Amino acid sequence: KGHHLFQSLLCLTLERVKSMFYHAYNNYLENAFPYDELRPLTCDGQDTWGRYCADLRFSVLTLWILGNVSEFQRVVNVLQEGVDFDIDVNASVFETNIRVVGGLLSAHLLSKRAGVEVEAGWPCSGPLLRMAEEVARKLLPAFWTPTGMPYGTVNLLHGVNPGETPVTCTAGVGTFIVEFATLSHLTGDPVFEDVARKALKALWKNRSEIGLVGNHIDVAAAKWVAQDAGIGAGVDSYFEYLVKGAILLQDEELMSMFLSEKNYTKFDDWYLWVQMYKGTVSMPVFQSLEAYWPGLQSLIGDIDHAMRTFLNYYTVWKQFGGLPEFYNIPQGYTVEKREGYPLRPELIESAMYLYRATRNPTLLELGRDAVESIEKISKVDCGFATIKDLRDHRLDNRMESFFLAETVKYLYLLFDPDNFIHNNGSNFDVVLTPYGECILGAGGYIFNTEAHPIDPAALHCCRKRKEEQDGETQKDSAETTSEDNGGGMNSEKNRKRRIPLLSCSSQPFNSKLAVLGQVFLDNT
Amino acid sequence: RHIGPSASPVDRAKDVTMPAKLPVNFFSSGSPVTDFFQGQLDYAERIRQDSEVTFYFFYAPWCGQSITVREEIEQVARRLSDQVLFVAINCWWNQGKCRKQKHFFYFPVIYLYHRRFGPIEYKGPMNAAYIEKFVRRVMTPLLYISSRSKLLEFLSDYEPGVLGYFEFNASPQPPGYLTFFTSALHSLKKDYLGTIHFGVITNQQIAKEIPLTHSGSIYLHRHVNTSLIYPREVMNYTAENICKWALENREAFIHWLRPHGGKSLLLNNELKKGPALLLFIPFNPLAESYPLLDEITKVALEYNRCNKNQATEPAVPHLKETDSSPLESRMPDVHTPLAETFSITKYPCCNTVVLPQWYSISRTHNVCELCVNQTVGVKQSKVNLPQCNFLEIEAALDSFYLKEHTFFQVVSNTIECSNFLSYYSPFSYYTACCRTINRGLMSFISSEKTFFQTPKAAFSSHAKKCKVDTHSIPHIEDRNCLIPGSHIGGTNITGLSCRTNKTLNLYLLDSNLSWIYAERLGASQAIHTKEFAAIVDLQDEAHYIMDQNQALIKSTLGKVFSGAPITGG
Repeated sequence: KGHHLFQSLLCLTLERVKSMFYHAYNNYLENAFPYDELRPLTCDGQDTWGRYCADLRFSVLTLWILGNVSEFQRVVNVLQEGVDFDIDVNASVFETNIRVVGGLLSAHLLSKRAGVEVEAGWPCSGPLLRMAEEVARKLLPAFWTPTGMPYGTVNLLHGVNPGETPVTCTAGVGTFIVEFATLSHLTGDPVFEDVARKALKALWKNRSEIGLVGNHIDVAAAKWVAQDAGIGAGVDSYFEYLVKGAILLQDEELMSMFLSEKNYTKFDDWYLWVQMYKGTVSMPVFQSLEAYWPGLQSLIGDIDHAMRTFLNYYTVWKQFGGLPEFYNIPQGYTVEKREGYPLRPELIESAMYLYRATRNPTLLELGRDAVESIEKISKVDCGFATIKDLRDHRLDNRMESFFLAETVKYLYLLFDPDNFIHNNGSNFDVVLTPYGECILGAGGYIFNTEAHPIDPAALHCCRKRKEEQDGETQKDSAETTSEDNGGGMNSEKNRKRRIPLLSCSSQPFNSKLAVLGQVFLDNT
Repeated sequence: RHIGPSASPVDRAKDVTMPAKLPVNFFSSGSPVTDFFQGQLDYAERIRQDSEVTFYFFYAPWCGQSITVREEIEQVARRLSDQVLFVAINCWWNQGKCRKQKHFFYFPVIYLYHRRFGPIEYKGPMNAAYIEKFVRRVMTPLLYISSRSKLLEFLSDYEPGVLGYFEFNASPQPPGYLTFFTSALHSLKKDYLGTIHFGVITNQQIAKEIPLTHSGSIYLHRHVNTSLIYPREVMNYTAENICKWALENREAFIHWLRPHGGKSLLLNNELKKGPALLLFIPFNPLAESYPLLDEITKVALEYNRCNKNQATEPAVPHLKETDSSPLESRMPDVHTPLAETFSITKYPCCNTVVLPQWYSISRTHNVCELCVNQTVGVKQSKVNLPQCNFLEIEAALDSFYLKEHTFFQVVSNTIECSNFLSYYSPFSYYTACCRTINRGLMSFISSEKTFFQTPKAAFSSHAKKCKVDTHSIPHIEDRNCLIPGSHIGGTNITGLSCRTNKTLNLYLLDSNLSWIYAERLGASQAIHTKEFAAIVDLQDEAHYIMDQNQALIKSTLGKVFSGAPITGG
């Protein structure tokens, strides 16, 4: 009986999330298209991306996750009609990658499943993929620096401007591997993955003696300009892409880079900002953006710490009905001029990941709180407005594009346990590519930092067969020789001894009782 | 993530902002709850003056938990609004008085006032029954003990009881009474589950039964240890002190665990104290009586009764003499001499086990000597038997298979031993000593002996769960097998907690609130009665669950303590 009640509650909330999406989406189409963003208080649109129809483009995958195939098809066709990227516009290398390249790649990979007509070479070719490649090539000049770390801004027509500042934030250097490696694997051109990898490694090599990276770096001189080390703004997606890159590419090196990052910044399950060389606390602040961290920890199987930190963050939500951009931990209050909540997705994102891992009802509670808060506080006639100040819930005339692209998407996925995105490999599609048969849609989707899902299986579809075969035969022969030499038992033993970096460790015994707020201390 | 400032358009509409929506009614107009949705705390304080008991519900209109609890509050208010003033205050709206004066970190917050005493914050489960119970406790913090039978009822409660004796014949209010009354309210602040009961006796005859002779004396009733009288000469007679004294000296052999949902180390702290027996029972805080709880209390009392002399000594000596006392029935039969069963004996009972072969390449076998070690026998007669009990060795073997992966690593010629158990027993454990021998020797052994297969019927639950029977069943060497007759089948558990070093702590959980923990421990969802028992041993990383088809009654509980039929997990 209780189970039944729970199910219907889940469905009810799911419907609320859905109607939330359409309230915002329809209002965008009616009042703001073809501008980039909807302005919910004045019921009009504004350009934040140079009229790229940002809301439409970035939310197209949410449509698909919500199951609205026909609208998805319509939008994809509109988007395929092409945008001219040969324009004299200065663009953020980072933002263009995660939103435009990531969005195009994701739509490209998922379009067949949604019934969009694809061309013969798909997934190794297609209009959206070509657009993604075109945009990514426009970004490449930014990477031509002495260190390999990219400039923050590039002109889409002229490349890097002569007077461009070489100072970039850490995330702006290390947030390319997911999109660029996918691009390289699909197109066969290794240049994208190579530059992304080089930039990541350059960052990692420049970490301090105590193993921390700072906030901003001079990409020409490899000098840290801002030396605050933390997990939030300016750094966040660098960590995220080490982990997601490692999983996507099954790359142990990236994972060991992530694991070697030392945690001098942790205090009572909070993460503080510290000076990157000394490890002294510089800012005892929790940032709204940091709330992605528990979700990231869940990806490497560190559920226990993830939940503990998540519960801390959740208390902040309960205090204000949202997460302020900055929250002073010792004072227990917002920080001057950082009181806003632009309906960011991060805490909900973490809840979604952790719910997959634990089925802890507390995570659904956060989801319910988020639905209530957003509806009660920020819903207006023309959409959902950014909360300008969490202390009094004053609203701003803005609805950021990540609300539709991410926040609603993660909320929906939290309450929809049967969504195809949660596929555990029990079903899949077989696709015939120029390189042979290929399995797609088996699950394990990697979300880029803008919540565009990438099917990791697709990365293995477009490799030349010969290359793959060669690789496999080499592996096979290596295994046979070791068995011949040492006997079955020995090779078995060797395999066990190696620490499998890319597999999750088994959960501790007490994890079964770590639900509904109960946490357990380390058994050390 | 979102780092770069996106291009901002030069437009006046950019600066348009909108103040938060004006607050509206949170409770419907017909509700028995007075709703100050504009946060008029001053007004609320004023109307509180006319009420004996006031219930404050501070909410934030956007808060999911406030919205969920709203219905529960209405339900309680409908039942009690004639005696209690129910007030809801929007403590979020920044123009309201409440927001300006109070600084809450979460919502909702529930405060109770008894006249001028308060606030008493309610932190218990947010459902109507628990909230109502707590409100009733605030309404009547002292139970009036008017008769002998009331006294017996009060003392037989499993929760700690504090009694005060006050003579009301002289002045309108005897000295110290108000302090005692306040201490009862005070205890509700610290002990929001209301586990300590406070009672007052006004009749000299009834007071003598305890015995209390002086008006103003206060008594803390304990079941196992000696009861206490408040030491007025040592501690000042204040409400705080009385409450503190009761909290510190109360007996707690049963703990309710009611996780509140927020981040908490409750289970961590309790389970790290040692192996814990978690009993899940459906609990209605408003029920008149708790037969199941009484049964559990009896068992727990017996288990904790360590000192024989003390045990026979009645908690209330005067009452003991009158034969029809209900207290009598609560006394366990402790006259059977316990000392004789204390003899610690060891009689190992061993069998040889050959592990199944997983690797056909391997030319060796792992052979284990599996022993059942008895440390303490309860029944003297059985202890004298040097042979193995058939069932025991089967059980040992069965659990050995469950743990057999532990022994696969053994590939050396040295003998390695390991102690383990599959069901929780304070009396016995198994030892397995394993070593590797080559196949030639093995085949000799196997041709020599008679073999039989594990009788699957007896331990079907193990076999099914762990798929032992799909493995090649290893051969065992049988020896001196007896007819079934367990030496641990008895339920004499009196004082057992002191006789073993594997003492169990007993915890109760309300299945209506905490069933998820039962499910996590393996409770079946198909079972309709939400009753479940499990032993959790955090240190050994093991848990054992009781067969859910057995009702939770005294006899089965007794077995749980002495380690009978519980499935390893």
